[in-house]
Amino acid sequence: MASRKSPSLKTSTKSSSARAAKAPARTVKRSSRKAPASGRTASPRKAQAASTSSALKMPTLHESTTSSGLKVIAAERGPLPLVSMRLVLRAGSATDPAGKHGLADFTARLLRRGTRRLTAQQIDETVEFVGASLGVGVGEDTMSIALTTPAEHFAQMLGVLGQLVREPSFPPSEVDDARERALAQFSNDLDDPSVIADRAMVRALWGDHPYGHDVGGSKRTVSTFTRDDVVRFHQERMGPKVAMLVVVGAVKPERVAAAAEEAFVGWTGGPDAPPTVPPVKKIPGAGRVLLVDKPDQTQSQVRIGGPGFRMGHEDYFPATAMNIALGGGFTSRLMNEIRVNRGLTYGVSSWFDAMNAGGVFALSTFTKTASTREIIDVALGEIGSVREKGLKPRELTDAQAYLAGLYPLRTETNESIAGSIADTRVHGLGDDWVEKFRDRLRAVTSKQVSAVAKKYCLPESPAIVVLGRAEEVKKHLKGLGPITVVPASEYE
Amino acid sequence: MRKASQVTAPARAADPALESLFDVHEATLPNGLQVRLLANHQAPVVSLYTFFQVGSRNERPGITGISHLFEHMMFNGAKKYGPKMFDKTLESNGGRSNAYTSNDMTVYYDDFAADSLETVLDLESDRMRSLRISQDTLTSEREVVKEERRVRVDNDIAGIMDEELGTLVYKAHAYRWPVIGWMADIENITREDCQEYFRTYYAPNNAVLYIVGDIDPKKTLALVRKYYGDIPRGPAPAKVLNAEPEQKGERRALVRHPAQSPALMIGFRGPSAREDDTFTLDVAQYVLTKGEGSRLVRSLVYEQKLAVSIMLDWSWRIDPGTILFYLELKPDSDPKKVEAALYAELEKMAREGITDRELQKAQNNLRSDHMRELATNNGRAHALGHYEALLGDWRRLLTLPAAYTSITNDMVKAVAAKYFAPERRSVVTLLPAPSEA
Repeated sequence: MASRKSPSLKTSTKSSSARAAKAPARTVKRSSRKAPASGRTASPRKAQAASTSSALKMPTLHESTTSSGLKVIAAERGPLPLVSMRLVLRAGSATDPAGKHGLADFTARLLRRGTRRLTAQQIDETVEFVGASLGVGVGEDTMSIALTTPAEHFAQMLGVLGQLVREPSFPPSEVDDARERALAQFSNDLDDPSVIADRAMVRALWGDHPYGHDVGGSKRTVSTFTRDDVVRFHQERMGPKVAMLVVVGAVKPERVAAAAEEAFVGWTGGPDAPPTVPPVKKIPGAGRVLLVDKPDQTQSQVRIGGPGFRMGHEDYFPATAMNIALGGGFTSRLMNEIRVNRGLTYGVSSWFDAMNAGGVFALSTFTKTASTREIIDVALGEIGSVREKGLKPRELTDAQAYLAGLYPLRTETNESIAGSIADTRVHGLGDDWVEKFRDRLRAVTSKQVSAVAKKYCLPESPAIVVLGRAEEVKKHLKGLGPITVVPASEYE
Repeated sequence: MRKASQVTAPARAADPALESLFDVHEATLPNGLQVRLLANHQAPVVSLYTFFQVGSRNERPGITGISHLFEHMMFNGAKKYGPKMFDKTLESNGGRSNAYTSNDMTVYYDDFAADSLETVLDLESDRMRSLRISQDTLTSEREVVKEERRVRVDNDIAGIMDEELGTLVYKAHAYRWPVIGWMADIENITREDCQEYFRTYYAPNNAVLYIVGDIDPKKTLALVRKYYGDIPRGPAPAKVLNAEPEQKGERRALVRHPAQSPALMIGFRGPSAREDDTFTLDVAQYVLTKGEGSRLVRSLVYEQKLAVSIMLDWSWRIDPGTILFYLELKPDSDPKKVEAALYAELEKMAREGITDRELQKAQNNLRSDHMRELATNNGRAHALGHYEALLGDWRRLLTLPAAYTSITNDMVKAVAAKYFAPERRSVVTLLPAPSEA
């Protein structure tokens, strides 16, 4: 379910080597949906789709290209005097060199720690003084640098964004400090059961594939990072030909084109074409149970997964509709059986994670140590039942209505529109993706749903990850496949 | 229905950019239900919020956590829409719903396709009028909430520390216990307790309804009257007494728990939301921790390299709240040294105040964050409710930027000196304990 930002003014800063800040939950919600394994920038997978009779009003897109070869897309949109810009580069964690997992993410965080003309402090001050906010995000396929600013400072902020990618200086002391902070963070991550379970799942699902490591890397790889690694990654992987600038908000398209020309003039480097990521052969952890031992837990984190599909695949719409009924909202079969009928958990969801070169189908939940086996059996039972019998006609129409009604929420903010534009371009989904989404979803038939259910609802034995008190849990996991017990520290 | 009159209450100017967005229509039904409506036709969606003036502040020992458990029960069936029907009806009509409980209030929301407005009003009024609490659903939902407590508190370091801190900061007030409640209390809350809670706090006169989005305010108000008009008024809930004694010196607690690194959670007793100091503390908070260039992040994370992260949470509350610091440290950190560094920064602010540029920067950021909060229907509806519940009038959200602009360096200095005094402090230190394996 949508989780809303806490209304209180909460300021929290992770150093630029850390992942999401964890605050104590001072308000308690009915449920929070689990994010998919590994921090990924929002992708159309989360599209809560399609809707009513009224058409969606998407702003007109204006395209231009700077003299340095950067493609720019501008969309004017009010009423708030804000502008959201996002530079997307095809330099995600899948491009991390061998033995240097986490380098894309590490490099992205260092961009703001100094440029040829500005120190880290000057960058922070320039951006933050005017009330703008700057964030970097790295996923498997892309690196994004996002800046939201009051409209009157748009050109100046775009200038800063240009400097960050054109001429970062990567001061040696900043590189050393960032590495130390990252290592401390890896250490502290071991205390977050859900982070470690997600990390173990990524490895179980992808193995040695370029998608098979945590976006941030690991203690082992990050401890080897040198300034040369970062400089090389920036030179070889980041450049105008594999980048795109999207600007949405209270600014005229012609101003965007002119300001982008100025901000990115003379930017060179990077590859001529986006990297190609090989297709996925098979799930290395399929048919196996990975038991991650954390003896102090009173609750087990459970992850189950199998093959999915790449972004842009023809199965996207039938699978999306099917998954809403299986593991989407509060009325999904998984939620109904596991949470409502049995009281086994606070949260359970399943999803398709579709990336450029492939994807997975996965489930995430948690329960008290004693009911670990029960929750796995019930989850596999529900998934198996959809695989064997498909959905009832009413379940499909309800899922379509649910997604269709909520889809327009994805067009509410400058940030979400910029994100949609970037995603559709990166994955080649076509510019009519948003407008056509609801029609395509409504066109899904029961027959198509049955076909994708047979294909993706774990027809082969899945990969299973359990994080918890191994001593207690292990005896209950017999018959699910060979069990490997590893300490949590394996995932530092 | 009357159109919202121009704001006169706090003698501060409304922000013009905000005023144009908030053409709010207001009404009060004869049964006491208050209604606020705001049209926004940017997308064919609507958000509806219901704010009930009840939270863990209204509880007592023995039934701590009942506000939150009850919030879960509100989704489990009423007279017209029985068990499972609330979610089923809403989702199959293109809507989603959730809720949260805080120390002060319980808040429900629905986001939905504009043409489902009447269905949603039917659903929401049904549960306000005639919730049905069955023993079976209570038994099952209790287990769900226990899992929630395990995930948020028992297996979460920040959750464990936060619970410890509450009992240090508050001796008498109900803010002492966690919103989710003590495990034994969650296990012991009865169906009768829930029914009494419903009668006491879920009457229309204890609620405000906010509807924002693709609506016609006049027609919408007619629908609200149609669906909610016959729900009987309830008794006025008892006032919460604040018996909190004065704090006479620093309080400390030590938590030993398996962890990689030590951690610190520090609370200073703050004012209540309606005191003017609240806004000045917002400015102080932004100077201290908003952004990479803020004082504490720059000093403790980047220059002294003592902390991995710093969080400062100044949550407004009806009664005096807590200014909360949470610091994630490194495996080899000495928490005493980190504390000293933090206090040195706080003392510096109390002694020297802040620069004009820091003040301006904080004001700029407070304004742009406020704007961002108002970018969606959901955000606008929530903001209306939040400011009304805590400050007494939703119009305060229009004058908030002006309230911040009127703050001076001397005010920040005075507030830092007052609230960051050592005798207002409570400190929880977490030290890694070996795992029991």
